[in-house]
Amino acid sequence: MDHSTDTPVHQDGHDSHGAPMDLAKTVRSYLKVGGVLILGTFLTVAVAYVPWMQTGVHWADTTIGLLIATIKVSFVGLLFMHLNHERGLIYKVLFFTIIFSIAMMFLFVLAFLDPIKAALLN
Amino acid sequence: MEIPYTVTARPDTGLYNAKVGIWLFLASEVMLFGGLFSSYVFLRIGADFPWPFHELKVLPGFINTMVLIISSVSIVSAWAALKARRYGWYQINMVITLLCALGFMGIKSFEYYGKFTHYSVILHDGTVMDGHPGHASEEHRGDKIALGEVKSFSVNLAKSETAFLRHRRISDGGAKPFGEVPDGQLIKVRTPSGKEVEFTKSWLSGQKRDYRDLENVRAKLATLQARIDSPKARVEDMKRAVTGNYPVPFDAARAETLMAEHQQLQVASAAKLKELDEKIKGLTAANPDAAASTLTLQVVGDPLAFRVDERALAKYNAGEIIFRDDVVLTGKLTGDSIPLNADLIDLRSVKDPEKSLAWKYYPGLKPAFFKHVEEATEAFKKKHPAHANDYETNADWQRSALRVSVEELAPETEAHALMHDESKAVQVERSDKRFYTNFSPSRSPYYAIYFLMTGLHGLHVVGGSIVLGYFLFTGRRMYKRNPEHLANRVEVGGLFWHFVDLVWIFLFPVFYLL
Repeated sequence: MDHSTDTPVHQDGHDSHGAPMDLAKTVRSYLKVGGVLILGTFLTVAVAYVPWMQTGVHWADTTIGLLIATIKVSFVGLLFMHLNHERGLIYKVLFFTIIFSIAMMFLFVLAFLDPIKAALLN
Repeated sequence: MEIPYTVTARPDTGLYNAKVGIWLFLASEVMLFGGLFSSYVFLRIGADFPWPFHELKVLPGFINTMVLIISSVSIVSAWAALKARRYGWYQINMVITLLCALGFMGIKSFEYYGKFTHYSVILHDGTVMDGHPGHASEEHRGDKIALGEVKSFSVNLAKSETAFLRHRRISDGGAKPFGEVPDGQLIKVRTPSGKEVEFTKSWLSGQKRDYRDLENVRAKLATLQARIDSPKARVEDMKRAVTGNYPVPFDAARAETLMAEHQQLQVASAAKLKELDEKIKGLTAANPDAAASTLTLQVVGDPLAFRVDERALAKYNAGEIIFRDDVVLTGKLTGDSIPLNADLIDLRSVKDPEKSLAWKYYPGLKPAFFKHVEEATEAFKKKHPAHANDYETNADWQRSALRVSVEELAPETEAHALMHDESKAVQVERSDKRFYTNFSPSRSPYYAIYFLMTGLHGLHVVGGSIVLGYFLFTGRRMYKRNPEHLANRVEVGGLFWHFVDLVWIFLFPVFYLL
């Protein structure tokens, strides 16, 4: 729902197709997204209490929990922050941000591959 | 001057400037929180102690997640209302957003308060006992070191202050020296020179000033003497160099010149040396108590009593306590235990739970504890037959069997008394204690990063609320002048707010659930 990105930006409360904005419809769609996010929160809590050990998949709670969180974040980003139709510049900025932040998540691997520490331990 | 492109899009980017700005800012924010999440992963993977999980109460975190989701819906609806030129709807949605922010911070404060008033004692054998200090109020909290019968104390004139006086208490014989000292009740002391004075901040400042003056003259004298002795010292160096690792031939002519220079300086400086020496004597005679850095004072009248938080001290023993600023109180240690109403016993880090120090303080709970261990083990083996033989190394078993709340170990009334009745508080000897702290960042790396990340997130909530509140309370004029400009502002504020929600979506499972 990013109306501000058109040139010129609307001064009269019309959407990108020139039609007047239907506030009720727009808010209804936001409420639906909110509902999905709330559902996702319930699911995250429920997943955390499943005795995964019995099923033999220890990693499931973390993986599923973070997967649900990622889906929720995608909803917020795409629909609330209008990333579903944004200008190219924003995508470029975010592309590099995501690459660098993912790389940062795996920095701890360097500590485990530390050759000096390994030499000391051996 | 008008700021360009606040309403219309800039032709090259296709965006109004504030939007580019907020996305660049959010990109930096992603890196900031990304770094902290990365640190969390690092700490958790590398932890050499049972990493706490399911330790935080889920309900407050769950409610806060809901609150932030509602606020995200309301802020984006506020923006849509502006786009549709419905100012009333905009206001309603902004108010909902701000109420959500207030609710979020209220719940967070409630959570923080609970952690700062809950304590944990880790004993030398690894036993952990969580609970509340025996005395509820800060002033009467029992985890302080009490020193009575203080008949003398010493101060360091170079660094001591009078801050230690705030720990002074009225003694009722050493048993409970809890009373506040009434205002104006000063300490009378006898100085080494026999003078009787009232020990006040201004008196100590005077002594420190005299000591500093004396030290300045001494320093001048020492500098002058060093200058006089310098040529002589160089000759000594030359003599030593003859037999050194890299021998240098002795230069007799040079040595003679240097010795002559030394004698000349001695003669030339004799008057100044005498003057400085006289000055030192004069200052010392004027105030002999300020001649040395350590000033020991005898208390005149009743001995004093103190109750001190261990953190204010450098060290202490049975006869004296030493503050970080070198004030030394000499007396008799009358209180050195930590009264605790424990609500949980955790023996996961104890080598032999049968011999845990917990049973020194709670012998009555020992049979119930081991009965619980048996039951938990049976239940575990039944649930996880594959781990029937190696259950002792299993983190889930350790958690269910060896970390037990007092409520599970005693009948309801007795457990309630043990947890809340101050007369039932156990006195944990400080010599048994390895670490004592509330559930603050100092408790463990888990709590350190929990407070860091949730605190930083909380600051974002506060900052965002201020900006959105500003748009709500001052927006009407701008709306009348240029509604699109206000819509753009709210969109930018909203993007920040969604980011705050987005961070919490990860924080909640990471800290509360996983």
